[in-house]
Amino acid sequence: MTIQKMTGNQENATAGNGTPPLDTPSASIGDRLKALMWRLLLARESTLAGVVLLLVVYLSFASPYFMTPGNMTVVGRQIGLALIISVGMTFVILIGGIDLSVGSAVALVSVLTGEFMVILGLPPAVSIILAIASGALIGVVNGTINAYVGIPSFVVTLGMLAVARGLSLGITSGSTISGFPPEFLYLGQGSFLNIPIPVWIAAVVALGAHFVLTQTTFGRHVYFVGSNEEAAKLSGIQVRRIKVTVFVISASLAALSAVLETSRLSVGQPAAGNGYELLAIGAAVIGGASLFGGVGGILGTALGTSLLLLIQNALILLGISAYWQQVFSGVIIVAAVALNMWRKKRN
Amino acid sequence: MTEPTLISMYGITKRYPGVTALNSVNLSVKPGEVMAIVGENGAGKSTLLKVLAGAINADEGHIEVSGEIVNITSPRHSQACGIAVMYQELNLANDLNVAENIYVGRELKTRFGTLDFRAMERGAKALLAGLGIEISPRQLVGNLNIAMRQMVEIAKALLVDARVVVMDEPTSSLTEGEVETLLALIRRLRQQGVSVVYVSHRMREIYAIADRITVLRDGAVVGVCDALSTTPNEVVQMMVGRELVDLYGLRSVPVNLHASPALEVRSLSSGTLVHDVSFSILPGEILVLAGLIGAGRSRAALTVFGAVKRKGGEILVGGKALALRSPSEAMDAGIGFVAEDRKNQGLFLGLPVRENISSASLPSISRMAIISVASERKLARHFAGQLGLRLSAVEVTAGTLSGGNQQKVVLARWLARKPRVLILDEPTRGVDVGAKAEIYQLIRDIAAEGVAVLVISSELTEVLGIADRILVMREGYGVGELDAGDASEKRVMGMATGVQEVVA
Repeated sequence: MTIQKMTGNQENATAGNGTPPLDTPSASIGDRLKALMWRLLLARESTLAGVVLLLVVYLSFASPYFMTPGNMTVVGRQIGLALIISVGMTFVILIGGIDLSVGSAVALVSVLTGEFMVILGLPPAVSIILAIASGALIGVVNGTINAYVGIPSFVVTLGMLAVARGLSLGITSGSTISGFPPEFLYLGQGSFLNIPIPVWIAAVVALGAHFVLTQTTFGRHVYFVGSNEEAAKLSGIQVRRIKVTVFVISASLAALSAVLETSRLSVGQPAAGNGYELLAIGAAVIGGASLFGGVGGILGTALGTSLLLLIQNALILLGISAYWQQVFSGVIIVAAVALNMWRKKRN
Repeated sequence: MTEPTLISMYGITKRYPGVTALNSVNLSVKPGEVMAIVGENGAGKSTLLKVLAGAINADEGHIEVSGEIVNITSPRHSQACGIAVMYQELNLANDLNVAENIYVGRELKTRFGTLDFRAMERGAKALLAGLGIEISPRQLVGNLNIAMRQMVEIAKALLVDARVVVMDEPTSSLTEGEVETLLALIRRLRQQGVSVVYVSHRMREIYAIADRITVLRDGAVVGVCDALSTTPNEVVQMMVGRELVDLYGLRSVPVNLHASPALEVRSLSSGTLVHDVSFSILPGEILVLAGLIGAGRSRAALTVFGAVKRKGGEILVGGKALALRSPSEAMDAGIGFVAEDRKNQGLFLGLPVRENISSASLPSISRMAIISVASERKLARHFAGQLGLRLSAVEVTAGTLSGGNQQKVVLARWLARKPRVLILDEPTRGVDVGAKAEIYQLIRDIAAEGVAVLVISSELTEVLGIADRILVMREGYGVGELDAGDASEKRVMGMATGVQEVVA
């Protein structure tokens, strides 16, 4: 195996003719490990991972409360819930689109969960399936309009942002729904092996998404569409189908997160999910995703999500007013992208 | 040198990490002279132009304009010195009209400080008329074809009294007819005392207009020749530094004329650009679609590939009619398609070469929709090797390769599918001479293995060089077929422009 240092040997590559380099098909395990280590070190995500790690170390010294089981549970749950949405957003951003409607989708699904489970009295399992299916429907609408009518996803999902929020307010007349059965509340509030259930679910979602994006033909197609839509079309890829699927993934994951959050708060509310779209977009972008499509991954998004929420937690623990938190988040998003561009230029 | 020089560049050196892009390059241009700069891709032509344009600063060397040393540090400064640079990507605003584009940055104002559109339109009209071009100054630039846009760009240069106009491969997307118009315009500029620095691969154009030729290779000047006393072959040899074997190669296996056609197209129609086009290709045969840009050739090919909606007619592969609702159906029938615009329609520039090569063959290297990276690597290496790409190039991003190597990646993608019919739309556009010869050889090899090959080409020498048969299209109609043996540049051009019609 030849070690590719991502950027080091462009001249060799462009030279074109000449003899192929000596290849050693059966490199020793030690060499492979070394190559793997190098790849890890040079990977886009390693800087970000370092930053997150530093922040954790700093916080555990700076605040006596940070490493307490109570705080860890709270932060973990928050990261889990946000990560599920960010993963969906990553799919959309990878095809060069954007989904502004995930926050409103959370509100609508939260309200619908209450409607199904509390008002209609359906069994929790059925209610959850129905709620997530309604969420998926939002994605079908977004994706179909985007792919088949050709309206840019920014506009389509901006419209859906208003529509879904309006629906959730209309259905409930603005009030909240409570009185969920306890077995449902366990989903958002309970733990398994001392780790909150939403964290488990988020981990499964993230690992699954990572696998889909890196190992499957569908994942490859997502990158192709984002990298060059016209070329994807001329390579026989059903571009429209991919687009719709991606928006369905995004909306369904937002719906899943909504169900978990409803359970965590024991209340279905039309005000839920406010600003989640910006958090998710920020997380993906900090993680190295390009808004032009074709670049990004789940690992980066997971680190980006963790960074944003750890900072929120840090500000609270350090006693900085909640009003200032958004300022920090905003600055960090821009700084992270600037850092990424600078790194790219230097390479 | 007794004659005064307009522009002199002395000892220009530019180093990038690991590469010396320009090594002590000298260039001199006299007033009213057409100086051609030739060299393979990567020879340093673009870097040299950028130094002249002030877009990058040289590490060593200096520039003199009319004998005075100038320190060109920015594009604005370069313009002030009377240097106008026309890049391959034109700097025009498509949503503004011709007059507004010509006057951009130098808008005329009325007494009240508002824009004086009338004066600008009058000025633009006079300027264009002086160049012998008839375009309305009110036309939106976005509605003009590329040749006309170039004219607008030249007019823009003349507005600022450019003393030298630098053109970077201006004809790469022009048809033969448009090239003639451009060359005529260059001769006109020369008569007016304006110098032209003309960068191109195409010997014919260079010999049509150039007074002198500067040949670059690997960042250094290997010779400055008089166009009158040097033959094109000598120039090409200087460029590549080796003897060029016959550029287009020769057919190694005769076509079996009794075989049944691999591809048959009957009365194909699509939109307003393709009407009643019929042709067929035998296995192993190379059919070239010739004609002017806009004659409907690409559209016809895209229709055969299912990427553009078919209005009428039939398409048969191996005798079986295709429904052709999407490219994937055409691919399943064994058709491959190398698109005209590599960057926008062909490659995934940001992704590794490996993924580019395997992109149309994913089902064959995956099981239950999960890709086997090992089989993928094997596939990519196999076809990269077959096309003469370095194996180490397999993991780099496709965008870092040269034009010729990028084209090989796209070819590899389709060869990996073992096609019965391969369509290549302008396969050598933006590819340097050395790589061109390789690509022609590859096309020959592909045909020799029994693939029916359809090539679309706007370069007449290329059309005549590789075709077994030629179908000429004009304004959406197939206007005639020629056997390679009967074809000449004049005949093909005549049919393409409608000057004489020959129906075989």
